Amino acid sequence: MSKEEIFDVCIVGSGAAGGVMAKELCEGGAKVVMLEAGRRVSLSELLSHKWPYDLPYRGLRREKQAPFYQGDISNSIAYADSDNITVDRVRVLGGRTLHWNAVTLRYADRDFKEWSLQGIEEDWPLSYAELEPYYDRIEQIIGVCGNDDHLEILPAGKNYLPPIPWRCSEHIMKRATDAMGIPLIAVRKAVLTRPYDQRPPCHYCGHCMDGCDVASIFSTPDCMLPKAQATGHFTLRQNALAREILVDREGRANAVSFIDTDTSTEQQVKAAIVVVCCSTVESARLLLNSRSPKYPMGLANSNGVVGHHLNGHLNESVSIYLEELEGQKPSNQDGATDHVYVPRYNHLFGKNDYVGGWGFQVNYSSYMFPQQATRLPGYGTAFKERVRKMQPGYLSFGSWAKVSSDYRNYVTVDPSRLDAHGIPTPVVHFRFSENDHALWKASTQSILEVSSHLKGTVFPSFGTGPTGFASHEVGTVRMGKDARTSVLNSYCQAREVKNLFVTDGSCFTTSSEKNPTLTIMALSLRAADYIKEQRKRGEL
Amino acid sequence: MERRAVLKIVALTAISQKLNALPCAAMGQMEAPAAPTATAYTLQFFSEDESRLLDQLMEMIIPADDHSPGAHEAKTNLFADLMVATSNDAVKKQWQDGIGLIREEAKNSSLAEALGRAAVNEENPTTDLERFFVVLKQMTVNGYYTSATGIHQEMEYVGNAYLGAFPSCTHPEHQE
Repeated sequence: MSKEEIFDVCIVGSGAAGGVMAKELCEGGAKVVMLEAGRRVSLSELLSHKWPYDLPYRGLRREKQAPFYQGDISNSIAYADSDNITVDRVRVLGGRTLHWNAVTLRYADRDFKEWSLQGIEEDWPLSYAELEPYYDRIEQIIGVCGNDDHLEILPAGKNYLPPIPWRCSEHIMKRATDAMGIPLIAVRKAVLTRPYDQRPPCHYCGHCMDGCDVASIFSTPDCMLPKAQATGHFTLRQNALAREILVDREGRANAVSFIDTDTSTEQQVKAAIVVVCCSTVESARLLLNSRSPKYPMGLANSNGVVGHHLNGHLNESVSIYLEELEGQKPSNQDGATDHVYVPRYNHLFGKNDYVGGWGFQVNYSSYMFPQQATRLPGYGTAFKERVRKMQPGYLSFGSWAKVSSDYRNYVTVDPSRLDAHGIPTPVVHFRFSENDHALWKASTQSILEVSSHLKGTVFPSFGTGPTGFASHEVGTVRMGKDARTSVLNSYCQAREVKNLFVTDGSCFTTSSEKNPTLTIMALSLRAADYIKEQRKRGEL
Repeated sequence: MERRAVLKIVALTAISQKLNALPCAAMGQMEAPAAPTATAYTLQFFSEDESRLLDQLMEMIIPADDHSPGAHEAKTNLFADLMVATSNDAVKKQWQDGIGLIREEAKNSSLAEALGRAAVNEENPTTDLERFFVVLKQMTVNGYYTSATGIHQEMEYVGNAYLGAFPSCTHPEHQE
């Protein structure tokens, strides 16, 4: 990369959104540079299969996940006036696609129409029908297993890989949910159940969240970036922490200033188009740190919306030890974490006094450590035997529920609190709304209700109020129909800065109970098509 | 196991329908659990006396029985030493004080009786001694069930393996 080189596109961030964008634009002939604040963790560096006793602190201090939190990422955020939430930022090539269990759910048509159908929040500036072709394409690119379950609340594609076989506990749970009139389906996730796109199928070790050591789970470094690289149009700068986006006299983005964290030097890369994909908090941070005479409140922020409308998921969980499985001979239940999913169902049973719903993810916890040992009272031989006998009956599930989008919840930057490289750090302000509290209460009641239909020992894990965000935060650079209350149009393009795009979760207008990553990728794919078309027409 | 070897195994198992059709028990663990290394551990926080006391207490919490060895064999006291030594001052103080409280409690009876009294309000502890029991038990549980003894001998855990197919439920009674 020479100093004077001007790229067609600079993509900031290499996670789900950035990976799609890089592949698509490079394959479309664009000369792309990607800035990633972290570095690659090679498959052989992953600690997924290490036994706890081979790790310094038995894995209890997150040693397996440590490679995903590079630099000072964990310490460079503050929470002010906030309820009990956590934004789980990672810094690594591939972002959270290296550290996820790959549940990929489509939003339903109603999820784009909260204002029209429920009278809350705002409608998205696009419909399910407009995004559907991109859901189809992205599922084909990444490889998704599951079924078309013919559910309006969870639209499906037609070409899924075979679903993951179920555990005994999941069949038993289905018996209970069937009796309650609640659907329970094979999970849809970006995990391969047969060889696909030159990647091997899952080997069912249960270490999805620790990084997949054979690339059976979709991740951008293993699936997208090699395709971008193969075009010869792709330049990757790792350890390149974006400081700000620079603009020309007309206010168009023309370069990104970044810190080379290897050498602690500030550098610049020039590009005709800038695509921001650094995840919800970091993307807002980058725009807010990009102040200039033309944009004194931050880039594309003349209406003061950037950073606002932070939302995500609230979630709670339960562990159950099924009587009919207790005492059985231990068997290998690791699998690919969750194998089944309970889609939202509260709308099926009449009107509620709150808006929104939840889905249940099932069996996403490890089977290696007997969680009941931390919950059962007592000690001695009887305690030890009880722990052992209960383990084959282990079933866990948790609700992932919608959090409302609200202007009063926001991310800002604090110029007096700098990170290790002198860049102002993000500060989160967040309070759950009345509706969030009502939804939390209803979701915890539903957990207990389903649990009551399962014969066994039940350990709920919830406290007295909601907690979030479960790594699913969205909304800080939202798209919308109204230029006064949003930053982007439906193509993730900034209204104020035509050659600036933001395609990660921060572009969401509202959220639903579904995990956001598939929608992030579909939106990024749609934006990539738009950029290609606009470039052809000379509009960008 | 080298990644290349793993990939080879996974690819082979995926290609071979025959192999996929094998009962999963036959696949078993492709990577045998490594034997724990017998490196000498030097105490970093507790004294020899304190560590011996912890060893006794932890063995009472998770004892050896007919099925498997207990916390003593798993050297849970050494795990506790490492974890406490690398914790903040508040944690260190709680352990130092807690050991003192247990010792005091055992002066006029036995260690077993002192532990019993510390454990009476486990679910709603109100004294420092009772609160220490909760911490002590949690440490014992964490240390034991993450040790080779706890994982392989006690729990007979058979996962963390490379499987060619997932051993799904085949029990009609679960699927009715």
